[in-house]
Amino acid sequence: MTPSRNADRPRIDAHEKVLGRALYAADQPFPGLLHAMTVPATIAKGQILSIDTAAAVAVPGVVRVFTHGDFAQIRTTPAARGAYGQPGKGYQPMIGPQVRHRGEPVALVVAETLEAAVEGAEAVTVRYAEEPFSAEMDDSLATPEPEPVSQQASGDAEAAFANAAHIVDVEYRHPQQHHNPIELISTTAAFEDGTLRIYEGTQSAAAFAGGLAGMMGMEPQALRGVSPYTGGGFGQKNGVQEQSVLVASAALLLRRPVKLVMPRGQLFHTASYRPHSRHRVRLAADGDGRLLAGIYETVQQNSRYDGFASDHGANPPRLYGYGAWLGRERIVRVDTQTPGHQRAPHEHPASYATECAIDELAGALGMDPVALRLANDTQRDPLTGKPFSSRHLAACLTRGAALFGWDRWTSEPGALVAANGDRIGLGVACGSYKAAMTPSVTTLRLSANGQCRIATSGHEMGQGLRSVIAAELIEVLGVDPGKLDIRIGDTGHAPQHLTAGSWGAGSAAPAARAAALKLREELAQLTGAALTDEPVHAQLARTRRPFLEVSVDTLPLGKDRQAIEQLRRGMPVVTGPEYPDFLAFSWIAHFAEVHVEPSTRRVRVRRVVSVADCGRVMNRRTAESQVRGGVVWGIGAALRETAESDPRFGGVLNNDLAEYVVPVNADIGAIDVDFIDEPDNRLNISGVKGLGEVAMVGAAAAIVNAVHHATGKRIRHLPIRIEDLL
Amino acid sequence: MKPLSYVRAGTAREAIDAFVAAGDGARYIAGGTNLYDLMKLGIERPAHLIDIADLEGADRIDTDGDRLFFGGAALMANVAEDPVVSRDYLVLAESLSKAASQQLRNMATVGGNLLQRTRCPYFRNGVNGTYPCNKREPGSGCAALGGLDRSQAVLGASEACNAVSPGDWPVALMAMDATIELQGRDGTRVIPISELYRPPSQTPHLEFTIGREEIVTGIAVPKTAAGRNSVYLKVRDRESYAFALVSAAVALEMDGDRVGQAHVALGGVATVPWRARAAEAFLRGRTLDREGALAAATAAFADARAGRHNAFKIELGARTLADALITAGSKSQ
Ligand SMILES: Cc1cc2nc3c(=O)[nH]c(=O)nc-3n(C[C@H](O)[C@H](O)[C@H](O)COP(=O)(O)OP(=O)(O)OC[C@H]3O[C@@H](n4cnc5c(N)ncnc54)[C@H](O)[C@@H]3O)c2cc1C
Repeated sequence: MTPSRNADRPRIDAHEKVLGRALYAADQPFPGLLHAMTVPATIAKGQILSIDTAAAVAVPGVVRVFTHGDFAQIRTTPAARGAYGQPGKGYQPMIGPQVRHRGEPVALVVAETLEAAVEGAEAVTVRYAEEPFSAEMDDSLATPEPEPVSQQASGDAEAAFANAAHIVDVEYRHPQQHHNPIELISTTAAFEDGTLRIYEGTQSAAAFAGGLAGMMGMEPQALRGVSPYTGGGFGQKNGVQEQSVLVASAALLLRRPVKLVMPRGQLFHTASYRPHSRHRVRLAADGDGRLLAGIYETVQQNSRYDGFASDHGANPPRLYGYGAWLGRERIVRVDTQTPGHQRAPHEHPASYATECAIDELAGALGMDPVALRLANDTQRDPLTGKPFSSRHLAACLTRGAALFGWDRWTSEPGALVAANGDRIGLGVACGSYKAAMTPSVTTLRLSANGQCRIATSGHEMGQGLRSVIAAELIEVLGVDPGKLDIRIGDTGHAPQHLTAGSWGAGSAAPAARAAALKLREELAQLTGAALTDEPVHAQLARTRRPFLEVSVDTLPLGKDRQAIEQLRRGMPVVTGPEYPDFLAFSWIAHFAEVHVEPSTRRVRVRRVVSVADCGRVMNRRTAESQVRGGVVWGIGAALRETAESDPRFGGVLNNDLAEYVVPVNADIGAIDVDFIDEPDNRLNISGVKGLGEVAMVGAAAAIVNAVHHATGKRIRHLPIRIEDLL
Repeated sequence: MKPLSYVRAGTAREAIDAFVAAGDGARYIAGGTNLYDLMKLGIERPAHLIDIADLEGADRIDTDGDRLFFGGAALMANVAEDPVVSRDYLVLAESLSKAASQQLRNMATVGGNLLQRTRCPYFRNGVNGTYPCNKREPGSGCAALGGLDRSQAVLGASEACNAVSPGDWPVALMAMDATIELQGRDGTRVIPISELYRPPSQTPHLEFTIGREEIVTGIAVPKTAAGRNSVYLKVRDRESYAFALVSAAVALEMDGDRVGQAHVALGGVATVPWRARAAEAFLRGRTLDREGALAAATAAFADARAGRHNAFKIELGARTLADALITAGSKSQ
């Protein structure tokens, strides 16, 4: 059965969510539940001299105040924290007297009510010995790593650059950003059926068995992780949180269920974030606009304690047919919490810098930036020489240009003027994101009455994974969407992978499809004849069996069965972009139209057109919504978002949703989305590549390029704010 | 969160008595949109809340006489949408409708709005002595001076404080010569709005001139034809749901094609709602063209002083005011 084009369908859990019936992690009711609140450090670095808990303990309702003295038994293992187990030193707050960054939790107050916990937390007094610190990668106490963390090279880029007729040499800066999903990060630890269960709106329920159990000296099976829904994760919820082990330990020590919902102001100092980075881009081209060389050097902020790698260099060399390439990435360590993956973690900043540089090169060459990109399209990866599994980037560009009306573009900036006097700017940029996959374990049961239950690996964080799974079951088995029970995000039902990096759909769709195909096969054996077009459950009913159940393990290309064992142990196993015979990426082209008010220089994004090649589209509605969301993030990155940190103090000053400026509805104009919708059958049986991440890649660059086209000003930092254009 | 007592008063008199009886830890609460926020930040720690949102008649909106009258507990949303206000006094309506969000405006009162506290990030983040702030802790210093001062004031700052007066509504009221009606222990009094706000000088923690137990019972705005030629232009970091980077309240009394009396006030740039008398004087008797508007606007910022990151507010403020003058002027034609 070859996959067919999917119809537009309502989101499978739309009703539940809109009616407020979906129970998120922090909504789970437990009798005798205790509430916890953390006490954040008020220094940027140093040692705790003493903690006075007397006043807190005296608050009526406070059950216990934990400090580092209570949690010394917590083990840190490299795989326990940080960016889903990337090797690093790893650290865990509250197991010793050190304070590594402002806002690090130094005490945990547990009480019968949330109010008492908050009051208790305010009553704790801590004395510190402060130490000198660095809160910014540009200041004198920041520590650059001596060696680059990664390099990519093909050909002699420096020589090609030195001899080229046309070059650009520019540096772009990207600020620190925070994910700010609406669902705060909560941890609830409770005892059920003799085991400890952790409820967190996480993208990685298995991280508890895989990481948290080890931190607590428990067997992995002794811990069950449940992520009922994730109310936005964007990478901030992709592993064990700083708070997870504190809450779990408190529950164990008190033998009662404990819940902590971290307030947003504290999340700016305990959860991950996208770090500052600097990007020097050198590009060289000949007179026809053929790209001779790219040299791309980045510096990214990191904490002192973890191994959050820099990976800016992975995508830009694959976007065009560069003659030669050199990439080099460096890390600077500062006294903050560990940064982490945030939607299109490195691909977004990298595309911002390199796609703006391409625009600058087009200017230097006097070429149309769409034509320059098309002239350098490639079907082979310049670094490895391998072909791409599928690449319709040129089609994204040409279709996008037509939908957008790119023929209005002028080579002279500032030439387009709206009726009200606004300057109109048009910008384009491209993006790519690796098409990754991870193993899945799936059990599918179809009942003769039409009920269909599937338990598989993956998390629903609003991206629509349930709808993706549903699409395959509907297509292959003809099941009624109303009779589907989709169990994901719970290690009690199936082993769970970290769902991130846009590998959710590319893993869950093939898993669901493989299970459904196997079920058809087994049913055909039962009936002794090929199945007809009738709904499968009706054919099952005739065999007089109440149900048929199948289990399948799906392996991504190039992996063997060991991957399933790793999945069962809660360890990440991810493939891509390089597979044995090809490289696989999703691709996108964004076109942006901005209007700039002549006097105040306010920038309004009137329209964005985005055309994506994500393989087969599993659900038009959720797919469009993903792209719109990605574009909104791009608008936020280009014009709004930045963490404000005063280097004299450290920490984030604008640590709430009023002051951390994300776009509001009034900031968003039309966003028109289209898809190539060609299945990538070389990658998996569903023909799916990822979409959630690529949606954002290049969006900010398109807007920045449009701002230049409107104003003639090249602003090489984000966000572009009003003062940059006055 | 500290335990606290809460009473709902029926009349101003009852509220004042309750306030006085409760002593030091007493606070009035109306919509609560600012007070609860400050309580969560640990800046306000009241022991007794006296709710004055439902005082008898306090939500009155009266546009019949020779003045507009708004009870202290009238909701921002209701004043903004009042037919007379939104038709004849756009500067007032827009200063409300461009503030906060619809949800907040449905809760917040026009009296509470006058007394909201600054958004200075160091003020809001400083509990537990993290950042020095003379407003929060007199004598502790000011981290914003020499710090991240992009949002700070360029007009009216002192050596002790450069925090911006955040409200939009007070700026429009300032332009329109509003008066504030107060009721205290010893009866009622009326002050011009210009006397409500204290410049920071050496005592930035003292922000308002009214007594602790005094209640804003009403706000009165003299009726004027200038209301028809008025605008509140607000420039911010996004198109909605943000405080002003700069704002200009303008209402013009025209004399043929010349400006008679201009009413001009600025927001987002000053430590108190800022009446721009120099611009008003410059405009008197002139016709309004772009050049004149810009010259008047520049005059409004003659005394401005920039810090490290907020110099742009001077240029942006002048351009915004010039735009507002042109817009208001165009309405008289
Ligand atoms: C996210 C956010 C964004 C916002 N954006 C804007 C904006 O863009 N522009 C803007 O102007 N405002 C903005 N605001 C502020 C909002 O307008 C004020 O919080 C609101 O007007 C306060 O009114 P309230 O009735 O809720 O006051 P409360 O919070 O109840 O009280 C505020 C203070 O006034 C005192 N008080 C209240 N009423 C009286 C009275 N009648 N007499 C004496 N004392 C009184 C209280 O004791 C308290 O000290 C924003 C607020 C938030 C939370």
